Amino acid sequence: MADSPALELRGITKRFGPLVANRSVDFELRRGEIHALLGENGAGKSTLMNVLYGLHQPDEGEIRLDGEAVEIRSSSRAIGLGIGMVHQHFMLVPVMTVAENLVLGAEPKKGPLLDYKTAAERTRELSKRFGLAVDPDARVQDLGVGAQQRVEILRALFRGARVLVLDEPTAVLTAQEAQDLFEVLRALKAEGTAIIFISHKLNEVLDVADRITVLRRGEKVDTVPREGATERSLATLMVGRDVLLRVEKDDTTPGESLLSLEGVSARDDRGLPAVRDVSLDVRAGEIVGLAGIDANGQSELIETIMGLRRPDEGTIIVAGRDVTHAGPRDTLAAGVSHIAEDRHRRGLVLEFDLAENLALREYKTPAFSKRGFISPKKMVARARTLLKEFDVRGGEPETRAGSLSGGNQQKVVIARELNADPRVIIAAQPTRGLDVGAIEFVHRRLVEERDAGRGVLLVSLEMEEIRSLSDRVLVIYEGQIVAEMPPESSEEDFGVLMTGGGRRTEGAA
Amino acid sequence: MSDVDDELPPDATVAARLATYVRAGGVVTPLITLLVAFLFGGLVVLITGHDPIATYKAIFNGTGLNWFFPWISSEDRTIAALNLQQTLIVTTPLILTGLAVAFAFRCGLFNIGGQGQYIVGGVFAVWVGSSFEGLPSLLHILLAVVAGMLGGAFWAGIAGVLKAVAGTNEVISTIMLNWIAIWTGNYLFNLGGPLQNSNPAQKDVPVSNDVLESAKLPVFWGDPQLQGLHIGLFIAVAALLVFWVLLNRTTLGYEVRAVGFNPDAAQASGISVARNYVVVMAVCGAFAGLAGTLDVLGWQFRIATNDIQTSQLGFFGIAVALLGRNTAVGTFFSALLFGGLITGTSVRNLDPTVFEPALATNLTYMIQGLVVLLVSTDVLVIWLWRLRRKRRSSAVLEAA
Amino acid sequence: MTPAKQIGWGGVALGFLAFFIAVPPITVRTPIPIALVGLLAMTAGLLAYRGGEKRLGSGGIVAGVLGISGGYAATQSGESNLEEVVVWGALLASTLRYATPLTLGALGGLFSERSGVINIALEGMMLMGAFFGAWGADVTGSWFLGIVIAIASGAIFAALHALFAITFRADQIVSGTALNLLAVGITGYLYVQIYGDEGTPDDLPQVPNVELPIQSVPFFGDVFGSLNLLVWVALAMVLVTWVVVFRTAWGLRLRSAGENPLAAETAGLSVVRTRYLAVMCSGGLAALGGAFLSIGFVHTFSQNMTAGRGFIALAALIFGRWRPGAALAATLLFGFGSALAQRLPVFSPSGAVLFQALPYVLTLIAVTGLIGRSIPPLALGRPLSKS
Repeated sequence: MADSPALELRGITKRFGPLVANRSVDFELRRGEIHALLGENGAGKSTLMNVLYGLHQPDEGEIRLDGEAVEIRSSSRAIGLGIGMVHQHFMLVPVMTVAENLVLGAEPKKGPLLDYKTAAERTRELSKRFGLAVDPDARVQDLGVGAQQRVEILRALFRGARVLVLDEPTAVLTAQEAQDLFEVLRALKAEGTAIIFISHKLNEVLDVADRITVLRRGEKVDTVPREGATERSLATLMVGRDVLLRVEKDDTTPGESLLSLEGVSARDDRGLPAVRDVSLDVRAGEIVGLAGIDANGQSELIETIMGLRRPDEGTIIVAGRDVTHAGPRDTLAAGVSHIAEDRHRRGLVLEFDLAENLALREYKTPAFSKRGFISPKKMVARARTLLKEFDVRGGEPETRAGSLSGGNQQKVVIARELNADPRVIIAAQPTRGLDVGAIEFVHRRLVEERDAGRGVLLVSLEMEEIRSLSDRVLVIYEGQIVAEMPPESSEEDFGVLMTGGGRRTEGAA
Repeated sequence: MSDVDDELPPDATVAARLATYVRAGGVVTPLITLLVAFLFGGLVVLITGHDPIATYKAIFNGTGLNWFFPWISSEDRTIAALNLQQTLIVTTPLILTGLAVAFAFRCGLFNIGGQGQYIVGGVFAVWVGSSFEGLPSLLHILLAVVAGMLGGAFWAGIAGVLKAVAGTNEVISTIMLNWIAIWTGNYLFNLGGPLQNSNPAQKDVPVSNDVLESAKLPVFWGDPQLQGLHIGLFIAVAALLVFWVLLNRTTLGYEVRAVGFNPDAAQASGISVARNYVVVMAVCGAFAGLAGTLDVLGWQFRIATNDIQTSQLGFFGIAVALLGRNTAVGTFFSALLFGGLITGTSVRNLDPTVFEPALATNLTYMIQGLVVLLVSTDVLVIWLWRLRRKRRSSAVLEAA
Repeated sequence: MTPAKQIGWGGVALGFLAFFIAVPPITVRTPIPIALVGLLAMTAGLLAYRGGEKRLGSGGIVAGVLGISGGYAATQSGESNLEEVVVWGALLASTLRYATPLTLGALGGLFSERSGVINIALEGMMLMGAFFGAWGADVTGSWFLGIVIAIASGAIFAALHALFAITFRADQIVSGTALNLLAVGITGYLYVQIYGDEGTPDDLPQVPNVELPIQSVPFFGDVFGSLNLLVWVALAMVLVTWVVVFRTAWGLRLRSAGENPLAAETAGLSVVRTRYLAVMCSGGLAALGGAFLSIGFVHTFSQNMTAGRGFIALAALIFGRWRPGAALAATLLFGFGSALAQRLPVFSPSGAVLFQALPYVLTLIAVTGLIGRSIPPLALGRPLSKS
């Protein structure tokens, strides 16, 4: 271990307009250690690392490498200084091969031409040296997620990284692949590489890290060694209070089936199967949770149900009506409401005012229009009632939707969708990006709808949310429903199912 | 680079961007945009050895806008009146071709096909207007107008359908349709063409039949013999109202705006994006076709192949719409401005000893280009926005 | 290639064949064989459509219809007229000439769009090249320097597009349209200012033709014997472009900037610099195409002489899925349309005028019809987010 730390971040502050993503953060990394950076979503972990990698410029603070102050104005500078980053969302070019992605920026040349053979050779060399199996000639877009990540890591190592940053690397891995990754990291650590491991998964952090730094709301809370730390102690540091999000829920008896899928299959935008032979039922008076890791077919499934995506096989029935091949209009009319996972994309028209947004489903009904002419006055009046009922703050009916906070925007979406008197509600990531107060509101409302006899399909990446709200939980993995579990099942049990039950996925050889 | 752009996601639609800029900059920015464009134009004039002030003055006098000044002499007033009539004659189709672009932009579509739609409208109008002898005037005009609008709507509708069904980029398809319209129109009125005039004395002239008296639009200001101002202007202004009502008070307009701002949200709420593309393009085509119709029935009274080759009014519509920020009021003033420019730089009105009209025409193109360029980023808006924010925050600091 | 695809392409080929047999040298005079071949084409198209290849199938059907109508029209025309028009040697030579500005424009567009910047302003860049090529040749007395000046003017003009599209993050289609307007204004203004009424001089230096010693060789001599230098340059550029974009390091970086600029950034590349260079390249190439028009083909400059060719070049690029070889094929097709249209006045003057619309009709069909949804570079048209 060298005398001065490999990397030091001192007093880093980064603002985005009024938002302070990092506030005077100190961080220290030694050679040959794996140092975990822990925090909730939005705590500022990724921003801090992006500053390190030259993608953002800090407003205040300095960076020191091996004791010397450096300025990192671009990624190429960071790479030149030996900092390598493996991003959460892979920075790979899908249509190019593994070898091409690897050598990008440091291409071996034969005269004016690119030396593809050398590139492939170097790829194989590195692959063997670090134990990361990849096929140089495979196209990245054809690879499984685990293999893609291996390419990302190799990319960083190819450029001679001595400080390696991994941003949520296990988010897309199976349990076995995660273990393989940890082996690789330990090997790198033994060689003297300094590693920063960003995560919000407590068990993994305790498995692989030497020290752990916790960020909360842009500030550093503490740095603790692994010895003596427990999941509970870390969780408390992360959140600041004893968190047990429990929702008061009565028992209900589910009634008739309101949403029924039989053998539904659909493909994603690239033509690959995304939804495979899915059958499920949502009955009146129940909340069905759909648990799964991101990008396992949830979005495509919702799109298929809502008529935004064409199913190749199967049937979809809503309250007795066949909507398999129906478009969004007919599906909505059949009694489905959709709280979209991306409220800026599918939920709201940010340039419309609140009254217009609230009227998005009903503008053609006689309540608001007559013979093709709309009445803004009626829309405003209705909006006023709804905004009050759903306690939306920050705007009048004439306020532009884009100027509301995320939580209030979500309330507007929910107001509109629930006001349409649906039979079934599809809630996709309904509390993404919301503060605690808004989250409680949404959860309460969903339970109310369930108690009123509606059916709710809750699709979420937050296990706590799923477990506390659902009456029963379905697990989706690679587009298939692999299990139905009671919500009281343990996190481990869910985790195993959500990552394929321990079996290997297809990766590159 | 900017704070305004912080609000916009990188894939914001044109409609969303322009709306943000309107909010941020109001009326001031179009004016400043104009000023900058004219400044650059003046620079070009200066560099190539002419007097920019005298040039602009001569152009201005040619527009007839000085008619509004109460202090000019009565002699000047007569000339100004004639010029103003000319300006307003050009403003009329510009309003409509501007609306043809503006309405499309509101739906997130880029309609560059105004020129072709204008031509097709004119062709239909001249055909109906020169046929059906013996109809009462009102009916004849109505028939020709409807024919022209339908023609334009059909022509633009092709691009709309292609976009809805095959996802064809409307920029390319409308540009192609422009050229197809130009050559088809040329063919129709050329020697031996199916719509060439049937006057044996004009056998060798590639021109259409004349519009009958019963189809001509009445003139309300000036001398009909000297190309006075016809009532088409009122129809164009009425179209502005129709545009506004359509956009803000109908279900169609609601859908158009939703699709223009956020097609994903619109689709998820059950709005048919494809259907809207077709309808919007058809409406735009109707506007542009109406422009061609009014010109034919109002003062051209016939179409020659030469007219088709040289007409540019459809293209001006783009600058008109963008300068006017795709709004009804903006389009009107924008059309007036460009109408003045076109008239002021025409061979008739511009004194060649001050500035060559052919040069002036190209100067107008450059100004057009600059206007559209500046609007595409609204660099000025951003700069103004920052100024406002700075002033506001310093005011807050002072109050604290 | 799947069987459905093969049948589909077969249908398109048969459609061409239906027309081909009606003209010299085969010159079938009865409509029956033409109708048969055409119907075969349409059947093939229908089969392909049913087999899942919807666009290719429709293309086959359309080709069949066009082939039958074209072939039928040929049978109704005078044989001597046909022989005058359809002289394959001259026709193909003409095709190459008409295709050259399109090819250069399309290649220019390829560089820009592969790097992620939409280039609607190819038309304007071409026009700048046409004017400055003529003016440059006139002022320096040398066609070579004229070309150099043309390329420079295109590159500088393109830098303006780059400035607005990349640095100012403008809507790239609107800013491109603005540049087209500007180009018309600038070139027209300078043209009137400098050349006034008389137009460009008659003795404007010309880019020379390359006289190959194969003039007497039948057919090939007619086609390749006496083509302009820039025609050969354009063909060579297709190869050069392919090598540069797909086989060099810079090409790899270019493509990464257009597919996933973040990946490029995190690999240490300056996406901004890459894009600027790519856009300026596109300006230079398009301007070269324009220079060919003025000092290699028509031997003069007139206002707005590019007449939409920049857009046809863009369409060829899209048709060719942003690959040089396929784009060349597209430009040859469009060039053929123009070449044919130019020889038609022999039939009827007004009809000939109508045929001037042919290249635009072909373009329209091309961008909607045959090839399935062309997938552009992933990041095309998206301005870079700032940090």
